[in-house]
Amino acid sequence: MEHILELADVSKAFPQSEFVLDRLSFSLPYGAVMGVVGENGAGKTTTIGCILNTVAKDGGTIKLFGREMVDADTQIREKIGVVYDGENFPGYLTAEQLGHIMRGLYQGWDDALFKEYLGRFHLPAVQKIKTYSKGMTMKLAISAALSHRPQLLILDEATSGLDPVMRDEMLDVFLEFVQEEDHSVLFSSHITSDLEKIADYISFIHHGRLILSASKDDLIYKYAVLRCRESQFKALDPDDIIAFRRREFQTDVLVSDGKAAQRKYKDIVIDHVSVDEIMLLLVKGERK
Amino acid sequence: MNGLLRNNFYSSVPSAKFLAGAMLLSGAVVIILDNGTPALLIGYMLLGMVGFSISAFSGLQRENTAKWGKYKLTAPVRRKDIIGSYFICQLVWLAAGMLFAFTVMGLSMLLHGFPFDRREDILMVFVAGVSVSMFMGAFFFPLFYAGGSERNEVTLAVSLLCAVGLTLGIVRLLNIWFGPKMTARQVLTGAAVLAVCAAALFALSYFLTVAIFKKKEY
Repeated sequence: MEHILELADVSKAFPQSEFVLDRLSFSLPYGAVMGVVGENGAGKTTTIGCILNTVAKDGGTIKLFGREMVDADTQIREKIGVVYDGENFPGYLTAEQLGHIMRGLYQGWDDALFKEYLGRFHLPAVQKIKTYSKGMTMKLAISAALSHRPQLLILDEATSGLDPVMRDEMLDVFLEFVQEEDHSVLFSSHITSDLEKIADYISFIHHGRLILSASKDDLIYKYAVLRCRESQFKALDPDDIIAFRRREFQTDVLVSDGKAAQRKYKDIVIDHVSVDEIMLLLVKGERK
Repeated sequence: MNGLLRNNFYSSVPSAKFLAGAMLLSGAVVIILDNGTPALLIGYMLLGMVGFSISAFSGLQRENTAKWGKYKLTAPVRRKDIIGSYFICQLVWLAAGMLFAFTVMGLSMLLHGFPFDRREDILMVFVAGVSVSMFMGAFFFPLFYAGGSERNEVTLAVSLLCAVGLTLGIVRLLNIWFGPKMTARQVLTGAAVLAVCAAALFALSYFLTVAIFKKKEY
């Protein structure tokens, strides 16, 4: 399978904060959406910074479109659209002025497409960005990111702070984008429901380490949580346990194959698991 | 580069507009007043050239309040192009300041006659203004990226003081070298030395700023 983005053993240390991105590895295939999930400060933004060269990695390799990107590789950046959380653009600009700037930055900038997005999202072209609401600001950022027709969209917490209706609207745009088979999306978020809606693959990052990366279908349909009493928990095969969390009357245990667990542990209650619950088990529970 | 220059123009134009208004008003006063003692005219000319350069710096500060600085790094531009665009922007605003200075000086001379001792003095005022402006840029840009945008005002003040000090220092050295009564040729040589020093430091500063910026993480 060809990958639009490949990370292998990527490391980055921030000595002042003692945060370390620890040999992170994952790959994003063409035509897929990968969600990177983790609590605040887990390392999602640092990972994206390393990918985009806004942060210098200490070790490992990152390949975009099959090769490592250096500062001079402007042709690679032509194919990438980026949306950051919050204010992507200076507030004194208007959307129209932003379009003029972008036209001078990207060879593939499409003015007509940008205007089409402004119309679709009801964004006034001559109003200063500082007067936009948060939702409008994010819609503008998405419009700008898509209007040079990128192949890879990198979204860093792009839907955080938006109401559910607006988030849904944004997710539809991303799904529309990924209909092209050579288009991919890397989407960092701590809103797991967004990832469940659009991601094909989900990677969990915790304290700078990749703790789980799997396809969403596997996570939802194969992974399961066992609701064990203490005696049942003690009887489990340790190889089956990915993570567990002790609660007042039971211990929840995450396993990678719910059906196999059902056959093996007939008297234990087994439930399907949501991405949210997986994250909680991985982050707040104990891992092997 | 085109997009970067356009961006710098949009970011600095509000300060430049304000300054242009103030320069128009003060220019009118300078033109009306008698230029028998040229101190006011010289002050206006220097202020115009230095003031417009500050517009370029204020733009840099303004755009750093959003994630725009980080966003630009994800666009198909090299870091050295981003820095280069700021240096070009400063030169463009310096040219605008020179235009104001030239216009007001010309109108003042039309109304009140030639205010200087000799023609070479006009060149010296322009060279002094350009030098202070370029020295200021040469100090400001690397300091801005090394110290961070939150120290912008201090960086600007330090840069201006260093630029004025360096210009006065070079002029003082030239005065010592050529003696108290300089010939026209010596004035022109002195102006050339000052201009070359300013241009050289400005160019060196570009490379230093690029080196600092390449190490910055956002």
